[in-house]
Amino acid sequence: MSSAPDTHAGRMVRLLIVDDSNIVRRRIERSQHFDDLEVVGTAANGIEALELARRTDPDLVTMDLTMPQMDGIECITQLVRMKPEVRILVISALADKATAVEAMERGANGFLSKPFTDRQLNEAIAELMY
Amino acid sequence: MLLSDTDRNRRVLTAAAGTVLAVVMGLVLIIGFRLATQIRASVGNLQRASELQTYPELISQQLTALRQRLDTLEYTGHVHSELSASVSGFNSDLASLQRQTDLDSSALAGATVLWRNYTPVLAPVLAYAGEPYSDSATNSTLSRSGRAFYAHVRRAELFAAANSTALHDQLAAISTSLQAQTASAAARLRLLLSAGVLTVLLLGAAAAYLQLARARGERAAREAQEQTRDILATVREGFFLLDADYRIGAVWSQALSQIFGRNDFAGLAFEELLRDKVSSETLATATKFIKLLWGERAHENLMKSINPLGQLEVSVDNGRNGKETRFLQFDFHRVMGPKGVKHVLCSVGDITSSVLLSRELQEAQESAHSQLDMMVSMLHSDPLQISAFLETAAAGLKHINAILKEPARNHGEFSKKLAGLARELHAMKGESSALNLMSIAQRAHQLEDMVGELTGNTDLSGKDFLPLVLKLDELLAHLNGVREMTLRLTALKENSPTAQSSALAPRASGPAELATTLQTLAHKLSAEHHKAFALTLHGLEDCPPQYLSTVKDCLIQMLRNAAVHGIETDEVRRAGAKTEAGQVRAEFRRVESGFELLFEDDGAGLSPESLKEAAVRKSILTAQQAAALDNRSALALIFKPGFSTRTEVTMDAGRGTGMDVVAKAVYGLGGKIGVSTNPGRFTRFKIALPAVSESAVA
Repeated sequence: MSSAPDTHAGRMVRLLIVDDSNIVRRRIERSQHFDDLEVVGTAANGIEALELARRTDPDLVTMDLTMPQMDGIECITQLVRMKPEVRILVISALADKATAVEAMERGANGFLSKPFTDRQLNEAIAELMY
Repeated sequence: MLLSDTDRNRRVLTAAAGTVLAVVMGLVLIIGFRLATQIRASVGNLQRASELQTYPELISQQLTALRQRLDTLEYTGHVHSELSASVSGFNSDLASLQRQTDLDSSALAGATVLWRNYTPVLAPVLAYAGEPYSDSATNSTLSRSGRAFYAHVRRAELFAAANSTALHDQLAAISTSLQAQTASAAARLRLLLSAGVLTVLLLGAAAAYLQLARARGERAAREAQEQTRDILATVREGFFLLDADYRIGAVWSQALSQIFGRNDFAGLAFEELLRDKVSSETLATATKFIKLLWGERAHENLMKSINPLGQLEVSVDNGRNGKETRFLQFDFHRVMGPKGVKHVLCSVGDITSSVLLSRELQEAQESAHSQLDMMVSMLHSDPLQISAFLETAAAGLKHINAILKEPARNHGEFSKKLAGLARELHAMKGESSALNLMSIAQRAHQLEDMVGELTGNTDLSGKDFLPLVLKLDELLAHLNGVREMTLRLTALKENSPTAQSSALAPRASGPAELATTLQTLAHKLSAEHHKAFALTLHGLEDCPPQYLSTVKDCLIQMLRNAAVHGIETDEVRRAGAKTEAGQVRAEFRRVESGFELLFEDDGAGLSPESLKEAAVRKSILTAQQAAALDNRSALALIFKPGFSTRTEVTMDAGRGTGMDVVAKAVYGLGGKIGVSTNPGRFTRFKIALPAVSESAVA
């Protein structure tokens, strides 16, 4: 929690949504209700996510794990290498705890399992924003 | 921590009290010593002053004695020398008193002044050294110097008589003053000693109190320690602390020993605790997770949600040289210190019974669901159909019993028994699932599983069949239950005002019911396998009653095969430019030689090569035998017992029982069965049945 509060002092928190399902992406975008949160991009796979992250410089990323082309674990690894201060919320349907632990080890900051309620989503985002 | 603070305070207090005691005792001793010295000096002075008091009287008497001797002309020498001694004694004592600075000076000064007046008077008396008498033959008289001496003595006698009282009083005053001084010093000494004793008593009391408090503190600490030990010995969870090297601390709860069957936890790495108990993947995940707990990103809630050890299946020694599976629940709580995470508190609980209970509950729930489903499907189906099925099933069970009772001694006989059982069970499963009686179908399926397992076993004996018998008993009980429910439902339907008159009349199951059964099954299969197809039936009403049962069995089996193997999925059909819904067609017709049953589907057809591969896989053929088969013979493989192309068993197909049952039933009626196919286009079964006698038809 040490670097989080400083990342958005006085400006909008930039959110990048990464999920291969269009429905989930829209759901996250619509369900979050933060005034100081701005969705700067949505990506459907790891490669798109890295490209978008390079261009949009997000503070916060919601990350699916099972995606085509480049999966979430690999994407987290590269994202953290590229932008060490970025905060990553893994949102995954994988019940497998080993994958969650793996994601945390690679640098994820939070974990939310699908299906989730709006309240759970907002709480998880809030935890990483403030 | 609280205890050690009080302990420190108490130590500081004890040290302070000791110091105060030492200082006070030192002061008491020094002041006491000085007072004692003073008192000793005062006592000496007092003695001297008392002595001095006697001198004026003594000197006065000695002067009178001297004068009387002179009067009587007696010898004066010794009196004179006594006087001299007195005067010099007085002088020396007085001088010694004068040297004491702390004496009452007014009395001493007064005495000194008085004594000084004595000096000129006494001096000529003391200084006289001549012979006072002059002797003649007859008498003695005072000599000339004697007369002068007499005059001096007389004067001194008078002076002493006049002044000795005053001098005595002055000297007495000195004495009194000295007495007062000594008394006051003694009082001071007494006071000092009292104060000293009081201080010692107070400090002693304080020390006693501190000692008492310390004993109380120690007792409390001991009790707290004992309580901690009791808690650790009694608590049902295993508790321990992990340090930053992921090693277990020196203290753990008794339950931990019971859970892990060991006692050497101190310093044990967490990884070692789980090694050999869980898979290497789980161990790796657990190790990573433990490391994450020390990181700054590890919030309690987050870590709880990804805890991979929340329900850990471990295999442990059961104490009887065997292993058993237990379920453990690990919880982790971070213990924060001033410099971040200090320890991680781990609790381990054995949740085996609750896991098993929840599984049992789930099973009970599923069984309740299936019973409900069964009731619903029974409500939807014709009770007569169900009754007919129950009769068939009862007959089937009787047959099964008969098979089980047959003596068997060798592998061949056992195999034959098992094959018979498998066929009966398969038929029962097919019919019950066609009627949507899934609880029965599932039981039959489980029994088939058990038979399948026994079939793979080459070393069989009678007692291997025991579990099968138990399960069969359970099936029988279930069937009785279903029968009872059917009777009640029938009664319910008959009593209801909207009851159909047809339901009132007893009716044997006929071609119409068969058609309904098949359509229901087709519907169910279509939904279960996500394949769209339509079943069309022709001429079933022409089926003579004695063939109806066999025709039903055959059609059910072929319909299942068509749904599972024949009809393709939507995607495959679209890709093959076929109609989206598959077509399955059954036709019964009279022919010259008797009857013919045609069954065809426009599905994937049969591939001789796949059939051969499957036969090799099932060890029905060797690879060489398979290679030597022509296409026709390859197709005939599907009528072999135990044959299936499916690699996994489902409720509807895959066991390899099926077409052999159909073939056997057909042969039993003296009929023939044939198959033709065009891969990718269709599969067609043709069953020829002999004619029946007219009387039977009527």
